[in-house]
Amino acid sequence: MAERNVESVNKVREAVSQDLLGGRIDLLLGWEKGHYWWQSRPLFARSEADLEKLAWDSFCAVNLSRYLLEELKDHDKVGVLVKGCDARAFNRLLQDNMVRREQVILYGLPCPGMLDYNRLVEKAGGAPLEITEENGRVIIKVGSGEQEAQRDDLLLDKCKDCRYPDPAVYDQLLFSPQGEKEVTERFKTVEELEEMSAEERFGYWEKELSRCLRCYACRQACPFCSCRECFVEQENPRWQGRAYQPSENFMFHLVRAYHGTGRCIDCGECERSCPVDIPLQELNRKLIKDINELYGDYEAGLDPEQEPPLLTYRPDDPAAFSEK
Amino acid sequence: MSAALNETAGGWEPLIVSFCCNWCSYAGGDLAGTSRMSYPVNVKVIRVPCSGRMNPMFVLRAFQRGADGVLVAGCHPGDCHYTSGNYQSRRRLSAFKRLVEFAGFEPERFEVRWISSSEGDKFAEEMTSITEKIKALGPNRKMRDARWQSVTSKV
Amino acid sequence: MKKVIAREKLPELWKSLAAKGPLFLPIQEGPVVLFQPWSEGAEANLDAVNTAVSAKDVFLPREETYLQYRCSGNQLELIPVENAEPVIAFGVHPCDLKAVEMLDKVYLDQEPSDELYRQRREKTTVVGLSCREPDPFCFCNEFGINPADAPGADVMAHLKNGLVLLEARTDKGKALLDQAGDLLQDGSDEKFEAAEVKTADFGLNLEGLPENLKERFEDPVWDELYKSCLGCGVCTYVCPTCYCFDVEDFGHEGEGQRFRCWDSCMYGHFTDMAGGHNPRAGRKERVRQRFMHKLQYYPETFNEIACVGCGRCLRSCPVNLDIVQAIKALGGETVEQR
Ligand code: SF4
Ligand code: SF4
Ligand code: SF4
Ligand code: SF4
Ligand code: SF4
Ligand code: FES
Repeated sequence: MAERNVESVNKVREAVSQDLLGGRIDLLLGWEKGHYWWQSRPLFARSEADLEKLAWDSFCAVNLSRYLLEELKDHDKVGVLVKGCDARAFNRLLQDNMVRREQVILYGLPCPGMLDYNRLVEKAGGAPLEITEENGRVIIKVGSGEQEAQRDDLLLDKCKDCRYPDPAVYDQLLFSPQGEKEVTERFKTVEELEEMSAEERFGYWEKELSRCLRCYACRQACPFCSCRECFVEQENPRWQGRAYQPSENFMFHLVRAYHGTGRCIDCGECERSCPVDIPLQELNRKLIKDINELYGDYEAGLDPEQEPPLLTYRPDDPAAFSEK
Repeated sequence: MSAALNETAGGWEPLIVSFCCNWCSYAGGDLAGTSRMSYPVNVKVIRVPCSGRMNPMFVLRAFQRGADGVLVAGCHPGDCHYTSGNYQSRRRLSAFKRLVEFAGFEPERFEVRWISSSEGDKFAEEMTSITEKIKALGPNRKMRDARWQSVTSKV
Repeated sequence: MKKVIAREKLPELWKSLAAKGPLFLPIQEGPVVLFQPWSEGAEANLDAVNTAVSAKDVFLPREETYLQYRCSGNQLELIPVENAEPVIAFGVHPCDLKAVEMLDKVYLDQEPSDELYRQRREKTTVVGLSCREPDPFCFCNEFGINPADAPGADVMAHLKNGLVLLEARTDKGKALLDQAGDLLQDGSDEKFEAAEVKTADFGLNLEGLPENLKERFEDPVWDELYKSCLGCGVCTYVCPTCYCFDVEDFGHEGEGQRFRCWDSCMYGHFTDMAGGHNPRAGRKERVRQRFMHKLQYYPETFNEIACVGCGRCLRSCPVNLDIVQAIKALGGETVEQR
């Protein structure tokens, strides 16, 4: 992977440095490495020296589009590196009137899927020292030798069932597209849950949600959660109490998920951000699945011109309740 | 509204909260009343301007504070006083109904019905029917705030 | 007093200890390990290095009712809450226990001390657990913590060859081992020392840092450091040395309860004031608060940096902004100016 990495990060750097140093953009949102090779953090690049730190590898999961909400306050024109999900997030912000298209230059990165450090540890049976990637395989070096694994088996959950790894919107596409991916398991867990009895399902959610710290990181990371005041903090009426009661947990989770009906771009940042691994995607995907079934296929974030399903209707719409 | 109301020492009576649109369903309820049709006292009606006013948080709050069932009633599609309120709520509440079922509520706990101002009989029937169904299901514990119960039971 | 028990016998030990009151253990909860009360069927995981959320939940619960009230007419009745039953916290790693001592300084060593915290702390018996293999995020060595020993523990436990070695160090600890009775065997022949453990070396330079930060409230470093922060508060919720709380009422018709629950300086509303002013208006001010609190304000009062190197913020921050990055940025590494 090392070679491919150096090559590809150079290509990215080349593309953005012209624009940044030439003054076409005031700021570039990219990634830089964290303390370890499996960590990356957002990079806010303004100079050539900043661009030296730029990273583009298998660990650039953080969605950068969300930072536009803040950065556009201080900058006229911002460049952003966007993977498939980040581009859909950008469209989400665009559709919600949170950004203007002409303020942003998007550098599209067709995404091979990001790797999950925990999966590497699991596969390697210990702390991995480094990895090399070739042809869809990953060789993991550990203290005692090497382990080989399929790249697909090491992906982050959010990447496993990603249908659109190519950016849906960009000004410049930096690598050749991956093409739409066939996903088979996107709604698998949702379907399994649907099969359960109401009692079992309630038990499942009660247990899963009991871990919730109600830190609201899932909201902070989410590109659709851009409300100036979230219901969670609203004082009057006070919808959301802070107590760690099952009742309050359900309130938060049902309302958060519901606010994403027809808006959630299925980027999985909420779940990735959760410190206690709550399966938030299953709530989001349930809504995606139902909307598709009831009101026709819709992928939020793919096409900003297409009306979101809850902002429109047809007189002959079906209903999930009896209309007699 | 209080949990003490539906769980007295003498046994359990369901508490149904019904959000009725002002122009059709609430008027339908009035008609039921003036026509001397009876419907169960278990149903507490809350008037909303339009079914499109329904915020799903109203429903969840009702469950938190002791409702055993919630019914939203609005004008028939095409008849909304604000033209499209109920077309919007049809989509929203359909998605929401499926979500609360996904969370583990029995489908009967949350319902939506279209009832016009001239359908006093339908109003009475629907209120009776949901009350019966909830009676058969028994009290709702899901999402009820345990603290609420301890507060109200001591009163 | 030295005792041993075979690991496969532990469920019996849990059962016997839990009979007298809550027994907190690192418990496997789905994909994560959390410090939680044990109940029949729960899966304790003593091999986990660090729980996802620290052990502070035992001493400073995420939610705690401290008052009930009832009004009738113009009479107000306050009903005190009795909430300190004896608790056992089993398997607290040295970093987390050191962090509890830091909480003690805040809640006990100043006047007025916190009564609820005191009751809880006094009634809790702590079984420390040495670490065998640190995870890559652990860096407690940097703070002079020895992963092999937790000095403040009532009982110190080590895992060794399928055995758990238990050494009582206080009267509370002895009482706990007595309570377990025949389940434990004599351990006077065992060697009660864990091997030395080396944690990550980030090459930090903590010497003089708090002093140095005194004058750096307006430092340009803050203009950069905060940028990636989402304001999600994960770092503070998982951190063993963060101790802020909020107070809220839950009530109905003149009767109810007042409780406190964790809060975080990373949230905007944390400093919202009546009248609408917010002295920490943005993420920059909040990030500065968190790191200044750990690295300057706390040390100024209590003479030590309020971080134990547990590594949780390194592991859990969704954007990999953590205390090590902050220390490095503040400790001489230059941050490019605009
Ligand atoms: S990020 Fe996780 S723990 Fe935090 S509020 Fe969301 S679901 Fe709960
Ligand atoms: S809810 Fe989760 S998956 Fe959906 S857009 Fe927000 S962060 Fe992405
Ligand atoms: S949860 Fe709802 S109210 Fe809160 S920010 Fe997200 S969309 Fe807005
Ligand atoms: S530093 Fe990281 S964990 Fe802490 S609030 Fe900011 S984004 Fe969240
Ligand atoms: S600041 Fe981070 S490393 Fe330090 S004690 Fe808190 S969570 Fe652990
Ligand atoms: S006015 Fe009755 S549904 Fe809109």
